[in-house]
Amino acid sequence: MTLTDGSSEKLLLKLIDNADVLLLYVTPQGEVSLANKKLCDVVGLPLQQILGNHWSKILYHDASGNIQMQMFKAMVDDVITYRRSNNFEGVVVDKSQVQKLLSWGIIPIYSETQDMEGILLVGHDVTEIRQRDDALKKIDETLKNIFISIKEYALYVTNLDGNITYYAMGSATLLGWEKSEIIFKHVSLLHTPEDAKSDLSYMLEQVRLTGQFETEIMLVRKNSEQVPVILTINRFLDSQGELSGYVFMAKDITERKKLEYQIFQSEKLAAIGQLAAGMAHEINNPLFVISGRLEMVLEEEALNDRVKQDIGIVINQAERIRKLVDRLLKFARKSPPKLEALDISEAIEGVLPLLTYHRLPAAHVEIEKDLVRGLPVIKGDLNQIQEVFLNLLINAHQAMPEGGTLKIISRDLGNRFVEVRISDTGCGISEQNIRNIFMPFFTTKKDGTGLGLSIVFNIVKNHGGTIDIESQIGKGTTFVVKLPYA
Amino acid sequence: MGNRVLICDDETPVRELFSDLLKKQLCDVATCMSGEEALDIVTKETFDVVLLDIKLGGMSGLETLKKIKDTKPETIVIMITGFGYDEQLISKCKEYGCSGYIGKNMPISQIISNFKLFVKSAKEKTA
Repeated sequence: MTLTDGSSEKLLLKLIDNADVLLLYVTPQGEVSLANKKLCDVVGLPLQQILGNHWSKILYHDASGNIQMQMFKAMVDDVITYRRSNNFEGVVVDKSQVQKLLSWGIIPIYSETQDMEGILLVGHDVTEIRQRDDALKKIDETLKNIFISIKEYALYVTNLDGNITYYAMGSATLLGWEKSEIIFKHVSLLHTPEDAKSDLSYMLEQVRLTGQFETEIMLVRKNSEQVPVILTINRFLDSQGELSGYVFMAKDITERKKLEYQIFQSEKLAAIGQLAAGMAHEINNPLFVISGRLEMVLEEEALNDRVKQDIGIVINQAERIRKLVDRLLKFARKSPPKLEALDISEAIEGVLPLLTYHRLPAAHVEIEKDLVRGLPVIKGDLNQIQEVFLNLLINAHQAMPEGGTLKIISRDLGNRFVEVRISDTGCGISEQNIRNIFMPFFTTKKDGTGLGLSIVFNIVKNHGGTIDIESQIGKGTTFVVKLPYA
Repeated sequence: MGNRVLICDDETPVRELFSDLLKKQLCDVATCMSGEEALDIVTKETFDVVLLDIKLGGMSGLETLKKIKDTKPETIVIMITGFGYDEQLISKCKEYGCSGYIGKNMPISQIISNFKLFVKSAKEKTA
């Protein structure tokens, strides 16, 4: 802008006075040669007392502002020395003793010959803006803390392409990924390859159409483990209300799934148990008559050896049926356990010698025991509890026909439950088989009846406990039995 | 052995099998098909032992047991059960005064030896 006459100069001064910034023009020596009205207002001095004074006497002149003044001075000196602009932010106490946060631009002004003529100080009052920033920061901090505190939730936002643009801090607990590792990556990273291929785009389509989509799904953690969640996806709208992405909220339902599995197994087994009891009764009567009559026939002396042999075979086969029915009845047994206070570690120790009476693979199995003594006692039926662990130990043994390590660990969970873990280093159990493993007659063994684990399940349930399986194909299986304190 | 035994079971083949088995043990055997019948017979005649099915149509085995014990307390009653070892049921029977039980899921040899054992110990108790 070129000023051609006095009126333009007046206009310029008017503009300077009315600008909503603090303006101060000082000589390279620091003497104020121009100040606008806003500056006079903030520092609370008339223009006459400002002009000709060193700027540092006018700004930051109180005791508490001393250090800031030093810094501000250093900035200004820096501008003079290195002939470049600089910025400074500091608090000034105005005439009414209110603290104002000012953000200064320090700009050197040069003559046509590139000599420094002076320095322009432009100050913005950023008090309110910073206060708002602080409030926002606090909200963000609060949100962060909320999500860190709620461990079973993950919250993240993607853009329309599905790339993650926001990842709440606490999400790392559930998903294993830290924010820095996952931000800007595609959300399909959190899904199984199959889901990522088809279900994900279907879900997002539904969100676009209906605004929300909720489903039970497996998410993939950083360590490739899958975790069951309820995933809720919402539209993410920008400030204009336009769809700009998706908000994902995932709730960990591992515990609920475990519980559901237990309930599902219990109900299934209860129904089968009823059927089994009824059937066993109906089978027992005719079977009893068959065996009894045959045994009586066998005592006839007139029989030739061939017939005796045949009858012997039939009796043996009938005996097989009888034993099976017996097991069935045991499985269907409804009588409540005879409860007494038990030390679980002692109960297990008592079972170990019995292992030798069972047909176990010949290969060498190393037994590692970590049975903690003096655990809180449980309330249990010793015979039944020992049957549980005998079954689990035999299974673990049989899972290692090539040999391996069998680990037995007992410990106090502290939540009024004790836990026993029985691990083998055998072949592992497939997902499909785990689903059926407690079903009566389900077996993968050549000569198994498939009743052992269903009986184990019932006993543990009747004791108010739970039984879980952790298994990895090729690595081994762990049965985890939790039983409540007495 | 020479005991007088009444066998009460509503299933004919079972009843006959028990009858034949006990006859071989030299018992004097009578049979009937219901609890009502058993009670009637026991009231009129004297038996050392009643072998009583726990699951009977009409009057239940448990009730029949109670009534036999009320009428002729000296009669030894042994229950027959198809349910294997059912603790609740057995303890109920014991409460009502039965001297033992025989499961139809037991091998024949065990049935006979249990029968003898129960009779012997019951007799020792009353003696």
